[in-house]
Formats: sequence, structure tokens, C-alpha cells
Amino acid sequence: MLTPLPHEFAIGGVYLPPMLVASVFGLLAAVLTSGFLNRQRLSQYFFYPPLVSLALMVIYTVLIGTFIIGA
Amino acid sequence: MVLSRKAKEAIKTALAMTITYGIALSMDWDRPYWAGFAVAFVSLASIGQSINRAALRMFGTLLAVVVSLTLIALFAQERWAFMLFLSVCAGFCAYMMSGSKHGYFWQVCGFVTVIICMDAGPDPVNAFDTAVLRAQQTGLGILVYSLVAIFLWPSKSITAFRAAATDLAATQHQFYRACLGVACGQGNAEEARRVSAQELQHKTRFDQLLDAAETDSYEVREWRRPWRRYQQQAAELMHTLERWRESFAGVQGLDLQRLLPDLGTFGAELDARLAQIGTMLAGTAPGQVPRPVDLPLDRDALRELSHFQQAALAVTRSRLLHLERLTRSLFETVSELGGSGTASAPAEAPHVPAAVFLPDLDRLAKVMRFMAILWMAWLALIYINDLPGGPGLLAFAGGLGMAIANMPQLPVSKLFVPAASSVLFAAVVYIFIMPQLSSFIGLGLLIFAATFAICYLFAEPRQMLGRALGLAMFVTIASISNQQTYNFLSVANTAMMFPLIFLILAITAYIPWSPRPERAFLRLLGRYFRSSAYLMSAMRWNPPHAVTRLERWKKGFHTREVATLPAKLRSWQPHLDNWVLSDNSPEQVQALVTSLQTMAYRMQHLLEERGTPQAELLVQELLDDFRAWRLGVQGSFQQLAQDPAVGERDALRTRLDGFLEHMEARIKATLNKAAEGEFSDRDAENFYRLLDAYRGVSEALVEYAANAAGIDWAPWREERFA
Repeated sequence: MLTPLPHEFAIGGVYLPPMLVASVFGLLAAVLTSGFLNRQRLSQYFFYPPLVSLALMVIYTVLIGTFIIGA
Repeated sequence: MVLSRKAKEAIKTALAMTITYGIALSMDWDRPYWAGFAVAFVSLASIGQSINRAALRMFGTLLAVVVSLTLIALFAQERWAFMLFLSVCAGFCAYMMSGSKHGYFWQVCGFVTVIICMDAGPDPVNAFDTAVLRAQQTGLGILVYSLVAIFLWPSKSITAFRAAATDLAATQHQFYRACLGVACGQGNAEEARRVSAQELQHKTRFDQLLDAAETDSYEVREWRRPWRRYQQQAAELMHTLERWRESFAGVQGLDLQRLLPDLGTFGAELDARLAQIGTMLAGTAPGQVPRPVDLPLDRDALRELSHFQQAALAVTRSRLLHLERLTRSLFETVSELGGSGTASAPAEAPHVPAAVFLPDLDRLAKVMRFMAILWMAWLALIYINDLPGGPGLLAFAGGLGMAIANMPQLPVSKLFVPAASSVLFAAVVYIFIMPQLSSFIGLGLLIFAATFAICYLFAEPRQMLGRALGLAMFVTIASISNQQTYNFLSVANTAMMFPLIFLILAITAYIPWSPRPERAFLRLLGRYFRSSAYLMSAMRWNPPHAVTRLERWKKGFHTREVATLPAKLRSWQPHLDNWVLSDNSPEQVQALVTSLQTMAYRMQHLLEERGTPQAELLVQELLDDFRAWRLGVQGSFQQLAQDPAVGERDALRTRLDGFLEHMEARIKATLNKAAEGEFSDRDAENFYRLLDAYRGVSEALVEYAANAAGIDWAPWREERFA
């Protein structure tokens, strides 16, 4: 499967590193997932939710960076 | 057009900010934004409050200059020793900040030390100039704001202070009436509780305004000694009334009018004194002076009571007699303030125990968090190349970290929106407006408009954080100076510092303990019962042994824990979210905290009474019974420390009733054995007060168990994402 080529993002002439963009989306996705798990009362099944949040953020960042943005 | 109060205050701050920048730029001083910071953070509601805060900021800055220059001089070439001592000094300031009367002084001293060290440390040749410049700019900002506050719409504290004093006296009078009504079986306990909460608010307001009024009103400053005495006596009256209210359970159902025949006259005299105090504070001369009153007991009626009822009556009577002495002293102090009294004898100085350092665990936790923030920022600065902000990151983390560590109830996520909007606002001003300006007229108008907008939109006390961040970001990002440059990178770097700082704040919030309010609540509950259990174990009579210094220290520590934890629990209570309260109401949690407060008062009472001399006969005869009682209560506390929901109300009630019955019989048998004259009136009073103190603690435990049983604790322990 082809993955996108790493490239910087230009906003108004300001270049942003792809990892920064991926991590912003990764954080957002992790926050949404945590909120969903909280609402469904599924968070009680995790031993230490703050670490799970961190892990989710890293996983989402890597996935988004690798397959969507190209970081 | 009549301007509103918040518009006037916003104009004052904006004008002071503009003048400050004007002076700093015309003098060609470097970093005028430091003066802007001083203006932004000293502006408060009245002249007195602002000047007090300004003085604390100035003195804090001066001490920080000395500390930071000393550190730079000693460790200029030793970066690890430099950071170690810097973090210890800043940590000490953070500890002092949250418990001292002059908390702002310590806060300023702490973060300014970090700022100067980070600014001047990498450039030690110019360290002295940098430190002096900081003090100079702070002095300029304070001076300008003070002059503006004095000359433009001056708002003195005297009117608000007098109103606060009258309100406090009126509430204390009302509370006394409510308590007397409850004691005589005619009042409403709920009403007494409501007035008690109101009294606490009025007392807090009075304390705040007294400081301010002493600074900005000559008439208060001239009479500051009697006012301070009044403050101390009003606090003692509040405390005594509260403890009196807590002792009513024992006298419920007793015919107090028969047992204390002069209660009507006594109560009316105290009522009249409190009414006169309110009248005098409102500026009217007193109609009458206090008359001597006593509260004799009807001995015949007393003999019909059980020993526990006699004990409860003895406590109520002693509280009333204490109230009599207090109201007389208060009356004399207020007469002196009104100029109509002759009593100028100072009140008896309170007994101050020998000063021993008793650490506060919550303050220590704040210090640890603050020091962890500093060290993480420092390690990032050392080991990560091209960190946004450079040493500025550490300076910023120091300032923000100190404020945030002091507010553990505030989740880090609540800072995202104010921080992002502040950066955005300042960035728009810096990138799009400032480059169009060519003279100070335009720049001055911009500074005025931006400051006014921020102060006006965030004028409410609850919006303090938004206002502080808004002004701080505007001043930092605009970086106004005579050699003005515009660079997008400075905005980007400042903006990029925030994710790093928030990451550090989040990590320090979650490690080692969860910052969730329900978890903090459970931790505090555990500490409360552990300390209570220790205090019960420390009350043993036998075997007699000398109390070591360590035991005295531990007892002091746990006594303070039990006395202060209910207030700390109350501060967390509003932050409990709906998730935890899904099956409970906030009123249930409130009732639980109130029962802990009651238990704290009763523990304090028990500790005091435990120290009074007791008749040898009673000690010997009843030692085993008291020990069994003490161990029973201690065991319950230990169980509750493990699980605050474990107490069963009905089981505890049955146990307590059985014990009361058993003790009643044992006391009767012991007294029958006593020879004539072996048991004096003084012994009887001391013994009854001790007996009532033991019963009070047990009753409070039963009340707590009843409240705890009504709460569904399962969601409190459930893991979830923050």
C-alpha cells in the first residue's frame, strides 16, 4: 500500500512540520475517544486511564502521520 | 453619561498602562513590558487593596533581586547546583505562599527569582543590570498605577469596611439568637446553620477590607489596634458560637428554664450587648452598659438528671459563661472605637504555644508539583535542542506553575481556551495593527484600547485567570520597545511554548496522584480518619509515661490535620462533577462534610478536656471503661480510614446506646463508693465535661455514618478518563 510522501504544510507562507500537524490531529482524536469511552462508562475497565490517553494519542499520531498526512 | 464601576476600573488600568509605557520608552529603558506586568497585576477594586498588593509585589521583587544575584554569584559556572538551589528557594516561596498572610509577597518573590535567574544566569556579566532593571520597571509600574488610582475616581475602602463591620455584628447577633432559640427548643436548626455560613462570609470580607482600610483610610489606621482586637474577638465569638451550637444535641429535651433559672435574664443581657455592639458600629452611642449576670444551676433539678445529661448541661453552661465574658470584651472594644468607652485595657493576650514547625501535607504537595514543573522545564531546556522560548520557557513555567500549583482544583484543560484566545488576540494586534503605527500617539491609543478591552471584558473576580493571561500575553507578544521589530517567529515561539508547558502541567497533575476531585476527596477523607485514629490512640491514660518530643509533635500535627481537613474537603466539593453525583445530591455531600466539621470540633473539645485534672478515684475506677470506649472509637476510625463508607449507622448507634447505659451504671456505682468530700464540685465539672466530650465524638461518628450510608460510593472509585 502506498503511503503519502512526507511534506510540510504551508499556511500563509508559514511552514509547519508534518509531525506537528499529525500530533494535533492525534490529540484531538484521543480526546474524542476518551470522551466517548467516558460517556459509555467503558473507562472503568482500564487500570490507569491517563496512561491510556497518552497511548491513544501516540497511536493516533503515528497512524495519522503514516497513512493520512505523511510524516 | 455615568460610567459603570467596571468601566472606571478598566479605564484606570488602561491609563496607567499607557503612561507607564510612555515613561519607560521616553527614558529608553530596556524591557518596558516588565513595568506593564506590574500595572496589570496590582490593579484591584480599591486603593487600599491595590496599594497593599503593590507593596507586596515591590518587596517580593526586591527580595527576589537579592536571592537571584546571590545564586548567580555563587553558582555561575555550576548549572546543576544553580538549578538545585534555585528550585529550593522557589519551592520555599511556594510553600510560604499558600499559608502566609502575605502570600502574594512570597509568590512574587518565587517567580521573579526564577525569571531573573533565567534572564541573567546565561549572561552573568549583565546580571546586576538585569536584576536592577526588573526592580526599576516594577517600581515604575506600581508608582504610576498608585497615582492613577489615588487621583482618578479614588475608591476608598472605608465605606465598604464600615458596612462589613456592621454586617458582621448583625450576623453574629442573628446567629446568637438562632442558637439560643435552638437551645431553648424554640428555634430552627436549619436557620442557625444558614446564618452560620453567612457569618463566615461576612467575617472573611471584614478581614479583607480591614487590611485595605488600614492602608487607605486614616481614621481606620489611627484606630488599628482596637480594630485588630475587635477582629480577634469577633473570630473567637464566631468560634465559640459554633461550638456552642454543636453541643445542643446533648441538651435537647432538657428543661433548661428550670435547670438554669436565670437563663432568660442571662440570654436577654447577651442579646442586648450584641445589639448594642451593632448599634455602636453603625455610629450610634450605646443606650446602656453591660450589667453583670450569672447563670446558677438549680441543684434539686440537676439531681434528677442522668450523668450524661448533667455532663451536657455543664458544657452548655460553660459555653454560655464564656460567651458572657466575650461579649463584655467585645462591647468594651467597640466602645473604645466609638470614642464613648472608657475601657482601653487591652484584651488578654491569647496563649501562643511554642512555635514548632508542623508541615502541611497539601502545601508540601504543591511545592513538590511546582519543583517538578521547574525541573522538567529545565531538563527540556538542557537536553532538547532549539526548544521554543529557550530560557524563557523556564521563566514562563515558573510564573504559571506557581499560580497553577496553588490551585489544584483547577484542571489544566480549563486553561486551553483562555491561553489560546489570549495568544490569538495578542498575535492579531502584533502582526496586523502594530506595524501600521508610527508614533507614540497611535501606540498609546492601541495600548489603552487593548488593556481597556481585556479589563472590561474580564472584570468579574471569577474571570481573573482570563484577564491575567490576556494582559500577560498582550504585553509579552507585543514586546514594545524603542527599537521595535516584527517577527512572526516570536509569536510562533511563544505560542509553541504553551503546548510544552501544558504537557508539563498535565504530567505533574497526574503523577503521583490523580487530580480528579472525587479521588482528592477520598484521599482527604482517609487522612482525616487516620489522624483521628492517631489522636484517639494518643489519649491513653495508662501506663503513665513521659511524653516525648516526637509524640508531642505528632499530636500537634494530627490535631491540625483534623481541624483543617473539613475546610479542605469543602473546597473540593463544588468541583465534584455530575458523573460522581449521578446518584447523590450535592446536599448529601455537604451534609457529610458538615458532620466531619462537627466531629473535628468535638475531637478538639475532647483533647482540651482530656488535659484537665480529673479526680483520682474516677480515673482508677473507670479507667477500663474509658479505655474500652476509646479503643472502640479508634477501631471505627481505622476502618473508616480504609473505607469511608464502611460505618453502619444502626450498629454504631446500638453500640453507643449500650455503652452509655453501661457507663451510667458504672458512674453511679463509683460515686456511691466515694467518701464525703472526696469528690469536689470542680472535680464533678471537669469529669462531666470530659464525659460529654467522649459522648460528643461518638455521636458525631454515628451522624457521619448515617450521612455516608446515603451516598453511592461506587462512581467515586470508578476509573475514568479525565
